[in-house]
Amino acid sequence: MELVTEYIQFWQERFSTIMSYFGEHIFISLLSVFLGAIVAIPLGIYLSKTTNNTIQTIIFNVSNIFQTIPTIALLAVMIPLLGIGYTPAITALFLYSLLPILRNTYSGIKSINPEVIESAKGMGYSSLQRLWKIEIRLAFPYIMSGVRVTTVYIISWTTLAAVIGAGGLGGLILSGLGFNDKFYIFTGTFLALILALLTDLTLGKLEKKVAYK
Amino acid sequence: MKKLLFGSLVGMMLLMSACGNSKQIEIGTQTYTDPKIMAHIIETLIEDRTDLEVNITKDIAASPQIISSMEKGDLDIAATLFSGEVYNNHFDDLEFTTDPEETMKKAQEGFKEKYNFKWYDSIGFENAYAIAVSQDIVEQYDPQTISDLKPISDKLRFGTDTSWLERPNDGYRAFKKKYDMSFKEARGMEVRLMYEAIENDELDVITAYTVDPQIRDLNMKILEDNKNFFPPYDASVVATQKVLEEHPKVDKVLQELIGSIDTETMSGLIKKVDIEGKEAKKVAENYLKEQGYLE
Repeated sequence: MELVTEYIQFWQERFSTIMSYFGEHIFISLLSVFLGAIVAIPLGIYLSKTTNNTIQTIIFNVSNIFQTIPTIALLAVMIPLLGIGYTPAITALFLYSLLPILRNTYSGIKSINPEVIESAKGMGYSSLQRLWKIEIRLAFPYIMSGVRVTTVYIISWTTLAAVIGAGGLGGLILSGLGFNDKFYIFTGTFLALILALLTDLTLGKLEKKVAYK
Repeated sequence: MKKLLFGSLVGMMLLMSACGNSKQIEIGTQTYTDPKIMAHIIETLIEDRTDLEVNITKDIAASPQIISSMEKGDLDIAATLFSGEVYNNHFDDLEFTTDPEETMKKAQEGFKEKYNFKWYDSIGFENAYAIAVSQDIVEQYDPQTISDLKPISDKLRFGTDTSWLERPNDGYRAFKKKYDMSFKEARGMEVRLMYEAIENDELDVITAYTVDPQIRDLNMKILEDNKNFFPPYDASVVATQKVLEEHPKVDKVLQELIGSIDTETMSGLIKKVDIEGKEAKKVAENYLKEQGYLE
């Protein structure tokens, strides 16, 4: 019981700081995934359409490589180019978000039954109409599952933004680890968890609205 | 396929039995380089003076995690802990002071009583927080003390480690009050990236650790803490009483290290590892040979 009152007191004292860390976290993670999605979804569609195997291989490999670079190394390389703070953090997380969205979009479009496309052609749909009205709709669950998975893990990875001066909930967690304060660690972790769950829930709702039933 | 499975199973079992070896001394270090070098110094000395085996676990997130691993019995020795650690919420109602001797006494007594650790007298170096400014700021304003920054503080970009902004007694909030100034922007980050940022002119002022060799390398200047704000962080080896009772020879080895390495020497050793890229183990061994610890 004492612990609960102490924790409430902690929130009262540190409320504005906690909220600013939380705000930074929301901003960084959601913007990174958003940028990742607007680049990776069109790119994935393009890759599923192109017959040029070299381009496919190159793009998949490059995004694969980004995925495997250790974060701290990536961030260190970025300082001379992008400085410190939001820009390198968002850039790094954006790069990490590309691959899963790209892959899911690609396999989503590829998974569509060719007969569906053929009948659409027969009904006189132009290729752009087919893409918009049929293919994206049918591939949407795939694309969205890529976006959802990415969002959840980018929200957890955004804790790393704290190592390059961009703040976020990682700031609370690392502080707590540094001077042995469990309230800080708990609060940072808890808020990141809530954010991930809420975002996933919202994206799930969105998915149901758009996809064919 | 079966052979492979069997092989990996045997491998895993061997690994697990190696972990359970009771003759092995477990040493833990934080992420920074001075404890890592100290761990190799202790390792080399123990293996030279006794027939015990040593295993080092590096890059444990921070000192509090090392302390709780020692309490659980996963670690026997902390290669280096700092006297100021005593203020990190391990004890209730502990009076905060910046006096080095008193802080050391509090650490030694407190950790003995609560955790049954032996906190040795200082190794001889200190790795405290200090405010350091970039070469550009030195050339432009030539500050001597932290207070000299007050008239220009709203123009300065400030970087610090990932916990200082929130530290209760000796962190940014307390600093702002004591020195009555705040910087234009204050960012927490990884220490190595902090120096990277100084080098690329992204920061002007940082909280350096006094052993960091980059301070000299980047021609930075440590400002005098004229209001006596920062607590001391004198480095000590810390061991559990249990391991010392089981292996009295280990105690003798650790006693040897008291007062053996000063801040400048440690800074030189760190430079060899962090800047010249040498292996910490080699650096430690060479140092011991040069100093005549090893035949």
